[in-house]
Amino acid sequence: MSSHAASAPAALSAAPASTAPAASKALTLGLAGIALTALGLFVSGAKVVAHSWLVGVTYWTAIAIGMLLLVLIHHIFDASWSTVIRRQFEHGLAAFKWLGLLFSPLLLASFLYDRDLIWPWLDLNHEMHGGHTVGHDPLYLKKAAFLNPGMLLGMTIAFFAGWIWLSSRLRRASFTQDLDGSLGWTRHNRVTAAIGLPIAALTLTFAAIYWIKSLEYHWFSTMYGVWFFANCVRGALSFGVIIMVWLWQRGDYRGILNTNHFHSIGMLMLAFTVFWAYVTFSQYFLIWNANVPEETFWYNLREINHDGASNQWKWIGIFGILFGHFFIPFFFLLSYRFKITPHILRRIAIWILAIILLDLCYNIMPALKDSHGDALPLLSLNLVWILTSVVGVGGVCVWAYLRSFGTAKLIPIRDPRIGESLTHHE
Amino acid sequence: MSAQSYGLIATFKTAPALYHAAEAVRDAGYRHWDCITPFPVHGLDKAMGLSRSIVPRISLVGGITGFCTGMSLIWWTGAVDYKLIVGGKPLFSPMFAFPVSYELTILFTAFATIIGMFVLNGLPMHYHPVLKYDQIRRGMDDTFFIVIEARDPRFNAANTRALLEQAGGEAITELEP
Repeated sequence: MSSHAASAPAALSAAPASTAPAASKALTLGLAGIALTALGLFVSGAKVVAHSWLVGVTYWTAIAIGMLLLVLIHHIFDASWSTVIRRQFEHGLAAFKWLGLLFSPLLLASFLYDRDLIWPWLDLNHEMHGGHTVGHDPLYLKKAAFLNPGMLLGMTIAFFAGWIWLSSRLRRASFTQDLDGSLGWTRHNRVTAAIGLPIAALTLTFAAIYWIKSLEYHWFSTMYGVWFFANCVRGALSFGVIIMVWLWQRGDYRGILNTNHFHSIGMLMLAFTVFWAYVTFSQYFLIWNANVPEETFWYNLREINHDGASNQWKWIGIFGILFGHFFIPFFFLLSYRFKITPHILRRIAIWILAIILLDLCYNIMPALKDSHGDALPLLSLNLVWILTSVVGVGGVCVWAYLRSFGTAKLIPIRDPRIGESLTHHE
Repeated sequence: MSAQSYGLIATFKTAPALYHAAEAVRDAGYRHWDCITPFPVHGLDKAMGLSRSIVPRISLVGGITGFCTGMSLIWWTGAVDYKLIVGGKPLFSPMFAFPVSYELTILFTAFATIIGMFVLNGLPMHYHPVLKYDQIRRGMDDTFFIVIEARDPRFNAANTRALLEQAGGEAITELEP
């Protein structure tokens, strides 16, 4: 608890209390995670560690994309209540350039070390189950214009360039408005939002396709980009709640946040929980109903081994994805009391963040197969490298957020909607 | 007091005056009373001591009913009443029953919410005793009112009038039933 707790909008006059010690702690933790993950190269081999790193980087990239979307949506709708928490998302956007940097080892290793490392289609001589190579696979040749090394490289650079460009526009306009109070920056951001939303929608969809879905390039699902989008927004909302409760308990947000801010973000969490379930179920249901081998193998891999025995992923799918990702947060978020009680809402947010990680593992890790073509289990040494990757990338992202946190006011004090936001009501 | 009286109505000039008067009436322990305002006054529900509406619970019951209706509809028609194999699928599976159940969950939730709201608000209501009060139309313009009903157990013509006066109420009038 800070000493200036309960003094009405402290942020209006004072700069936020220093987060420099916390930032250096986060960076140390991040670098330790990265070092441990690197150690994994010698224990579990490059392939396992590369897939774990992919989970770690996409997890935090998803949260950052979600924050970008929330800021864009805030501006396009000229929203009012979210003005006081928008600044925190703007700080979160500082992570994009580091995420780009942290993603690059995957591309460098794929191009310079082993083409087979993560995406099998990067190597035309990659041998498929059954003897022939990717280069002779008709299902690859049809997609070759899309799935090739140049496209992967160019698209990934374009994704990060797009996100970094939008983030810097949004941040600059918002931070400058604190100083000069010009309404022009609000209009500027609304224009950015109008241009940025389609860009964000397309880049996140293609990122999900290139980075995750193409791990099994035979498979197709038109729901995939939307599934990723739902996770992005759920992750950003949950992270937003953690930041809100942290700043509330530290005292910064006393006199700024009221019950209705928690209620509103809780309602959005509920809405996106239902949306995620709708999309994820639709993907499963369409594949289940059509029952076409080119599609069903993806779920079979996550359910049974070649001898028909259930594998770990089946239980992860039922208890982690179906119950953990939908029913549990859904029923908790239905309650008004839980939504307005900060520490309970934070508990739900932490749960959702953990399950989003599990969802990404469920989508990425079964690409690692044993000699029978069965998915390697999650509960193994591989899980250690996933966790070190998440801590490694996360430490750097949290450091980037905290470093940005000290450079601007706690809330956008001269935003035209700030008064409405401070008195947010039902 | 006359036994036929509906209750007492008091006039307030400003929203803060009404707000504080509402707190006074709440603290005096009245249950059957209401505020009439030209626009929503934020926080007034708290000042009146109102708890949150129970409509969400009615909605939840509606939703669960809808979900169960959808599931049993598909199960009964497909697996019991007229067994028919479609697309090589089992006679019943929650998978293909889900879209129907989901839609009925939403439909029944909407019905329960609307009907619950109407019933709890006593709607439709074509007559209310305050409508006979000649000043009441100003409640849609620039004036605030508090009405305390005679059926309230704490109602006592003299004491209630004193309470409203003390709370800053003006033009305290008895309402015909």
